[in-house]
Amino acid sequence: MAQIKNRLTPFFENITFDREDNELVLNFGPQHPSAHGQLRLMLHLQQEQIVKAHPDVGYLHRGMEKMAENMIYNEFMPTTDRMDYIASSSNNYGFALAVEKLIGLEVPRRAKVIRMMLLEINRLMSHLFWLATTALDIGAMTVFLFAFREREYLMDIIEGYCGARLTHAAIRIGGVPLDIQDDFLHQLRVFLNKLPQNIKDYEDLLDTNRIWLMRMEEVGTISTEMALSWGCTGPMLRASGVAWDIRKEEPYELYDEVEFNVPYSDKGDNFARYRIYMEEMRESAKILYQTIEMYEKCEKDGQTELMAHAPKYISAPKLDIMTQNYSLMQHFVLVTQGMRPPVGEVYVATESPKGELGFYINSQGGPYPYRLKLRAPSFWHTGILTDLLPGHYIPDVVSIIGTTNIVFGEVDR
Amino acid sequence: MRAYTPKDDVQAKAYYTDRYYVAPQVPKSEVETDEVFAADLEAIKAKFEVKEAYIQVEQMVVYINAHDIYGVLEFMRDELAYTQLSEMSAIDWLAKDNTFEIFYQMLSMEKRKRIRVKYFIENGQAVDSVEKLFRSADWSEREMFDMFGIEANNHPFMKRILMPYDWQGYPLLKTYPLEGDEFAAWYEVDKIYGKEARDIIGPEIRDTATVDRYDSERFARLGFEVPKGTKITGNEEPHVDSYQEDGGIFLIKKYDKESSVVIDDPQR
Amino acid sequence: MAQHKVNYTQDGGLPVALTSIDKIVNWGRSNSLWALTYGLACCGIEMMASGASRFDFDRYGTIFRASPRQADLMIVAGTLTKKHAEFIKRLYDQMTEPRWVISMGSCANTGGMFNTYATVQGVDRIIPVDLYLPGCAPRPETLQYGVMLLQKKIRANKAGNAQKAKRLM
Ligand code: SF4
Repeated sequence: MAQIKNRLTPFFENITFDREDNELVLNFGPQHPSAHGQLRLMLHLQQEQIVKAHPDVGYLHRGMEKMAENMIYNEFMPTTDRMDYIASSSNNYGFALAVEKLIGLEVPRRAKVIRMMLLEINRLMSHLFWLATTALDIGAMTVFLFAFREREYLMDIIEGYCGARLTHAAIRIGGVPLDIQDDFLHQLRVFLNKLPQNIKDYEDLLDTNRIWLMRMEEVGTISTEMALSWGCTGPMLRASGVAWDIRKEEPYELYDEVEFNVPYSDKGDNFARYRIYMEEMRESAKILYQTIEMYEKCEKDGQTELMAHAPKYISAPKLDIMTQNYSLMQHFVLVTQGMRPPVGEVYVATESPKGELGFYINSQGGPYPYRLKLRAPSFWHTGILTDLLPGHYIPDVVSIIGTTNIVFGEVDR
Repeated sequence: MRAYTPKDDVQAKAYYTDRYYVAPQVPKSEVETDEVFAADLEAIKAKFEVKEAYIQVEQMVVYINAHDIYGVLEFMRDELAYTQLSEMSAIDWLAKDNTFEIFYQMLSMEKRKRIRVKYFIENGQAVDSVEKLFRSADWSEREMFDMFGIEANNHPFMKRILMPYDWQGYPLLKTYPLEGDEFAAWYEVDKIYGKEARDIIGPEIRDTATVDRYDSERFARLGFEVPKGTKITGNEEPHVDSYQEDGGIFLIKKYDKESSVVIDDPQR
Repeated sequence: MAQHKVNYTQDGGLPVALTSIDKIVNWGRSNSLWALTYGLACCGIEMMASGASRFDFDRYGTIFRASPRQADLMIVAGTLTKKHAEFIKRLYDQMTEPRWVISMGSCANTGGMFNTYATVQGVDRIIPVDLYLPGCAPRPETLQYGVMLLQKKIRANKAGNAQKAKRLM
């Protein structure tokens, strides 16, 4: 059977011939190798300089908020993986924490420690990935290969824990499903001991590299007002002079017990952001060392609980389900009908590697959320390109998009 | 007789709810219990009408009048140091009383506090854009328009953001089914190939559990593989699909299991 | 000129291999499958990982190209949304023949977990697909295996003939 003819008309948005103001309209994306996903930019150019930028998103809009309204709470957990798919556990965590706040649940300490480990490993993974792709876009292939190598080690550790490389679904509402595997701590230590040298390697390659500096320094400067007004969070905000880290300011989990610094800069340019990512990796390593100690202390104190005890909302441990009739019934109801959180609403923000990841949940007492709004940091980090790009030159676009660290699963949801 | 399904709210519903089930409430506390919030609320109350205010899960919720929103947010930003608009969107209450609830999630980094400002609008009413105050509202309002069809007055570029410009329908309304309507189902086919191609391409297969175990063209046989197009009777020979032909390949070394090495420790 | 002392008439003779045109063309095609960078979502990250240091796609001659005109293989890695559908058709049409398509991940195969209004339920509604890789996300090993199967498929074809027009669905 013959092929069907398509009726797409030729696409001349790349060049507009009949403009009188001598402006060139350049279409960038939606499938551009350095756009970090499906970003489309319409750039108005005066020669090489951008006078107007119009980001177009939505090419990865998969309808997650609608899905959430039609799914029971536990069912939605794997979907959150696909938001910021570079650090999926942090999304799982954000959602789990929001639901826990809604039903007023306290998570056992050991689960908290494991969660923190997962979160920080995810932060490292995300930052390494950021470094790799941005360096690749700017032309530093070596750093790309180096950073991916390290990321694979972390992936192995995570994979040993939850069985998946990318889409972890490793955190449950009310705790974590599993204890960490036997060689987790050992592998993590081996990795952490190597990490400072690795970071130093990247810095040696980049920090004094003339090309890197020329494309990073004084490019893409975001002022504090602009960052605040555009709702920037995370490294984007910290690079613009506001030392705001939710882990520090509104501590969740055990972040108030660990020692770490919040790197910030008042430069606001690409280079500042790059420095912040590098420093944050060091801080994450610091936190991870402390969580290893905390975990060993839990082990010593005999704290073995991994899931909170709340029979109304959370299934009992496997052993109880298999041996006790009532637990089995409870579990059956929770799996088929879903938990029913109380009526109310909650907005919980956590510090994901990209910024403030917020979950707004409006529950009407049913097993399905009435409304769930995902506040993804990258959405506004993409929006800021509207104001940020004008005045810059074409090659800067790539480095600016690189340092904003946007992930389209999150932007479009 | 077919059971009646309401058309104004097609969200998934619990198939069974106990007759005497009363959903508990997330506890609300008085604003006076938190002095920072109390002071903020006093300041807002002095200038604007506040319909209701309480604290829920560590955050203050303030209900105001729809026309006050620009003033309230400006006041909060300039006087009360709520410098960031984290999030804003709408909740669809059309089935209940034909209104939308709009919420603005504010953050003060100085006080480390979050306030949620809310108000109700009628169906069809537009909201006032706060894009002049917070640039982040530019995209949020567009998203709200895209998802709910709520327009914002004085917005510089009120167009869809996530869905294509020529999309029909507002996906997050409760009347919109999860799997989309007729328009959504054929959108890409109509756009690329035209309506004539509908018959050739066929409808979307939405049933996630479709497996035809006798169709070896489109499904792998359960249990083990058989070559494509085999007629499945139930006693097929297992078929191992190797990625190299048996006779070896021109110029390529044949893979040999014995002489290959398995690396155990990736962090060697 | 190189001053090497290789005697081509010794040790197995001249460096000549006799073969048919078919085989040599197919050998060339199957071992230089240049792939279009088509990472759409999460699976795209795994596709990048298979191109990066540990999995190293260059061994198969699979090098990612950013332009459809230089690519033989389109690895559709990720969720295709209705908004994007038009562009995949455009890019596919721009690729020169012979061209192959790997649909990577459940989303590209069937829409996967996203049974929603915004997702195309399988890229084969838009473009013909040669190979479907299951998984969410498929591991890089799966992709490597897929590429090797595709190489086998290419080798089995007659090189001379124009590619048969593939039917949709
Ligand atoms: S198949 Fe899974 S991992 Fe791949 S794009 Fe779809 S959701 Fe993401």
